Amino acid sequence: MSESPKNILQAKEITCLLAENAGIRDISLSLKRGDILGLLGLNGAGKSTTLRIISGVIAPQKGEVWIDGINMQDDPLNARARIGYLPDTPPLYNDMRVLDYLVLAAKLRRVPKSTLDDQVQSVLSSCDLHNVKQQRIEKLSKGYKQRVGLAQAMVHKPALLLLDEPSNGLDPQQMQGMREVIQQASESQAIIFSTHLLNEAQTVCNRLAVLHNGQLKHDDSLDSGNSTNVQTLFNALLQEHSDVAEQ
Amino acid sequence: MTLTIASHEFKALLRSAQTWVLAALISIVFAYQFLQALETFLDIQPKLALQDHPLGLTGFLSTQYLAPLAFLLALICPLLAMRSFSDEFRQQTMPLWQSSPISTTSLVLGKFLGVLGICILIVAIACVMVLSMQLFVTIDLGVLAAAFAGMVLCAASFVAIGLFFSSLTKQAIIAAVASIMLILLLWLIGSAAEANPSLQALVSLAIPTHVAGFFQGFIASADIAYFALLIILFLGLCIIRLDALRNVS
Repeated sequence: MSESPKNILQAKEITCLLAENAGIRDISLSLKRGDILGLLGLNGAGKSTTLRIISGVIAPQKGEVWIDGINMQDDPLNARARIGYLPDTPPLYNDMRVLDYLVLAAKLRRVPKSTLDDQVQSVLSSCDLHNVKQQRIEKLSKGYKQRVGLAQAMVHKPALLLLDEPSNGLDPQQMQGMREVIQQASESQAIIFSTHLLNEAQTVCNRLAVLHNGQLKHDDSLDSGNSTNVQTLFNALLQEHSDVAEQ
Repeated sequence: MTLTIASHEFKALLRSAQTWVLAALISIVFAYQFLQALETFLDIQPKLALQDHPLGLTGFLSTQYLAPLAFLLALICPLLAMRSFSDEFRQQTMPLWQSSPISTTSLVLGKFLGVLGICILIVAIACVMVLSMQLFVTIDLGVLAAAFAGMVLCAASFVAIGLFFSSLTKQAIIAAVASIMLILLLWLIGSAAEANPSLQALVSLAIPTHVAGFFQGFIASADIAYFALLIILFLGLCIIRLDALRNVS
């Protein structure tokens, strides 16, 4: 089965059921270059599970994922080479220097030797890490660590960037910096940005999808003038969640 | 890609204070054992000279100094391998590998070679002490090379066992203890046959049965095959375990 080459991501009916009704059911998504999809949902909605499946970290029990036309199940290495993934906890080695860590990340993502230095320098600039590149990661602030995490996901210029709550724990200034990096990256990539903050998603993204109890409740462009619908839906989900918590 | 991972693992171990403390303590033990073996050789040298085929210095040091150190590797290698995957799970760095375009086989082989590199350096310290006697007497390099090969094969098997247990748990110390227990079992399993001759088959599973020849200067293909099987078995189990992590069902 082949997919349209225009789609950077095509996920069809992916299902991954975890213990006690957690997980996701029949999620279908497609993304084109330039799309920044905000994946909204409360804690436990299935945002991280969705991103872990798309990134190839875990396999779905049902459904299929294509990255840039490559089926994740049939050719996982080539599919993963086109993905940059920042999990909710950045995968950082605290005893490494920032520059060494990014060089390692670039080598793991098959960046050719001839362009490795340029790409690492480029991502250091775009994530504003030049002044800390010789520092050990353990000495960095939370904001800088998050930026290093973002830089490792972007160093190989992936077609699809998956960011799992990248602004968690950042102060407003750091959040603004992160938004700028993401918006810059979206010019050449497709991005999925998971968050539980509606305002943040509306600021950064040009498309919103709402996940609730592992199911996709809404997926539409923000340009279509239905942002009020998303807000109403999200508020209703918040209300439902707090009612359940009170009971 | 395997070499990139091996180099990362090797450098990570070199950055760890634990490795240097371990290396310093081991060097002290090696030096003490070496000097003691040398003193014993000097004491018994007149008696050895009376024999038809007297044991040379290299042969003596190989069996009396290097062979007991092979047992010490059963403690050292699991301590070096215990963090390989446990720390990745605990520090949540595993997604970096899982989302990269590298196969699980490359990852496991890379980690294996990285840890083995440090173990080889440690084994080399022990062998260099014997080699230093070349300044005073002629050393039988063939016997020394065979002993070195035996110790490296032992270390490689212990690292493979250590990696497998490390892939099972977030707790590095549990991985180390479990590895040491299994290696001790493999080391001592042959002694059960002494008490019960019907268990003679167990002797062929015991590590000492297969490593002893190396210290006497001969390398048997059956012994190499034994260690190769141990390494393949535990690296294979490690690959299966890591692949299973992708399948959450």
